[in-house]
Amino acid sequence: MKSVVVFMMFAVLAMPQQAFAAIGCTLSNPAEDLKYLYPEMTTYKEDLNEFPLLKDGTELFRALRERLGSDLDPIYETYETPYTVYSVFKGQQKIGVVHGVNVPGKGGVIQVFLSMDPQTGEIRRFFFQRLESPAARQLRSKEFLSQFEGLTLGDFYKHDYYATVDPGAKADKVAAITPPVFEVSGRPDYEASLRGIRKNLILVDFFVYGKKFEPYFERAKQATEKAKARKE
Amino acid sequence: MRSVVQRQGFGAAAFLLMVMVAPTIPAAAADTLAAPFDHSKGAAQSQSAAGAEADPFADLAEPVTAGAIPEQTPRSWRQTLFTENFGFRKEVMSQFDMNERGKTASRQSVGFEALKKFSTTTATLASFDFQGRLVRRDGFNPVQNDMEGQGRPGWAFEYHNAYLDLYNVLNPLLSDEQRGDTVGQFNLRVGRFYVPFGLNLQTDTHGTVLQLSNDRNFGFERDWYTGFWGAINPHLNYDVYYLAGSGYDLKFKGQSGLGAIRLSLANKYSYEYGLEGGLSILGGERLSFDAITRRRALVVDGGSENRVATKRVGLDGRYRQAVPTGLLTVTSELSGGRDLSSHVFTQLYQAEYLRASRQWGVSAQYRRFQQEGLGADASIIGEVSWYFRNDIGNSNLHWIKLNVERQLEQMQGPHSTIATLQYYFYQ
Repeated sequence: MKSVVVFMMFAVLAMPQQAFAAIGCTLSNPAEDLKYLYPEMTTYKEDLNEFPLLKDGTELFRALRERLGSDLDPIYETYETPYTVYSVFKGQQKIGVVHGVNVPGKGGVIQVFLSMDPQTGEIRRFFFQRLESPAARQLRSKEFLSQFEGLTLGDFYKHDYYATVDPGAKADKVAAITPPVFEVSGRPDYEASLRGIRKNLILVDFFVYGKKFEPYFERAKQATEKAKARKE
Repeated sequence: MRSVVQRQGFGAAAFLLMVMVAPTIPAAAADTLAAPFDHSKGAAQSQSAAGAEADPFADLAEPVTAGAIPEQTPRSWRQTLFTENFGFRKEVMSQFDMNERGKTASRQSVGFEALKKFSTTTATLASFDFQGRLVRRDGFNPVQNDMEGQGRPGWAFEYHNAYLDLYNVLNPLLSDEQRGDTVGQFNLRVGRFYVPFGLNLQTDTHGTVLQLSNDRNFGFERDWYTGFWGAINPHLNYDVYYLAGSGYDLKFKGQSGLGAIRLSLANKYSYEYGLEGGLSILGGERLSFDAITRRRALVVDGGSENRVATKRVGLDGRYRQAVPTGLLTVTSELSGGRDLSSHVFTQLYQAEYLRASRQWGVSAQYRRFQQEGLGADASIIGEVSWYFRNDIGNSNLHWIKLNVERQLEQMQGPHSTIATLQYYFYQ
């Protein structure tokens, strides 16, 4: 009997790494947190999304990196990382989507959560679950967080164009965000937070919104290239 | 003794060789934004650069409805059961300890944790968690994280967590409006989990050497129980349970069991202020071989079989504060009450520092359990940890710890110093 148990335990350990290895970002107390975000809610549902389980998961993962515009962290942003999407319901009607991601910051991992409109994909609330940073107080300030309300992934894609071709354009809602006042040491965590918001929006666009903001990404890419060519 | 040590050494070498196949983690690279945000005041003034179009996005109206959601590959019911909302983690632990008299002990284990959530189209209804370990023990020293190992030499398969949570159990009886009013308030737990007293309910000490005070306070840190948990309001959570009071095995030997109530600060205090805390009350009868066999006075005092009438009230708190180079955490658990007719008082104070890189940390703990007429057990403990992986969500851990405990007071026996070296992997 003992040898059977030993064999089974080692068999479990020998199972393929990709079946298990993962780091997710979940709400610590979903009911309490979701009720806080959507006081009118009646139920919620958790859905685990993993690239390996999606059709064209490899393509989507490559697309994430391209749309994020930076390398993915080998620990917190792997192909196997699970993503939990919370769908919030009032009766049978879906009234909200909540999703969190981990991004590496200077003071440790930063957990960036967004609640979004289930139809438009607009950010309804932006909040940190875990934020261990020298600039934590400033980054958690309501003045800073509230600036993201109403933004969509489309605005972030547009920003890519404006930042390169037309800095300071009034249409660039992302550039209009005023960072909180913090010491230089807080800057990396601020930038990591912005990266986390963008990553969060891209993933939710994949998992929930069926890549509906894709035309903005393509247009921003084309327009930027065109503008660069004209300049040359 | 020497041959035992050598045997342990060979076993350990093989064990460590096996676990070294686990992938090591490259240092996390600092991320930068590919398209840096320019927030300078100058940039705030629109200055159409040469080459800018009027508005390249003008013809793109934001779509109101979502597009097609990526399909999941077709799965059988078995794949659905074991992949959909299913988490599985492997665990390897290798621990060696020795006291100042040269008495050595070894504990090697491989284990796993499985977590499954069950949902309908609009609600997550339940989750199940199970932790199991196959353990090999040679020798015994009273190291904090393995007090129950004294009775399990050699090979043993152990279960740790084994519980089912049913969420919002009153929903079938409620209207939509009432469901909204009570969401998160009435969740039912059945099974084996941390004793709902002090900070242990909200602290995962499954792999750590340092433990909180319940094991010494009650003779076990997990128990079989059932009851409700949830949020009272945005500020407070509650836990109300009936516990079997039997510790590792679920058994009834005439004990009435324990009732426990805990009120704790809502999670938002942890996220926003780094603060956790609570008030716990527990009372009833438990089985405790420790309290009876170790204490003749208690047997004389009327203990029947190994039943111990137990009363406790406890206060606890934990505060995390980011400092320029890392994270500082202070923790305390205080409780008082009675075992039979003897007053007991438990204290635990802990301070931890974790480097901002999360690659190393140091901890110190002082703990004392005092019982009227019997004296006290007290220790001071220091620990150094080197982390290969240290995920903030505790779902990806890989470390080596050196823990040294100096016993300052003992109810029975000499004061010892125990050094423990632990290797731990969980992914």
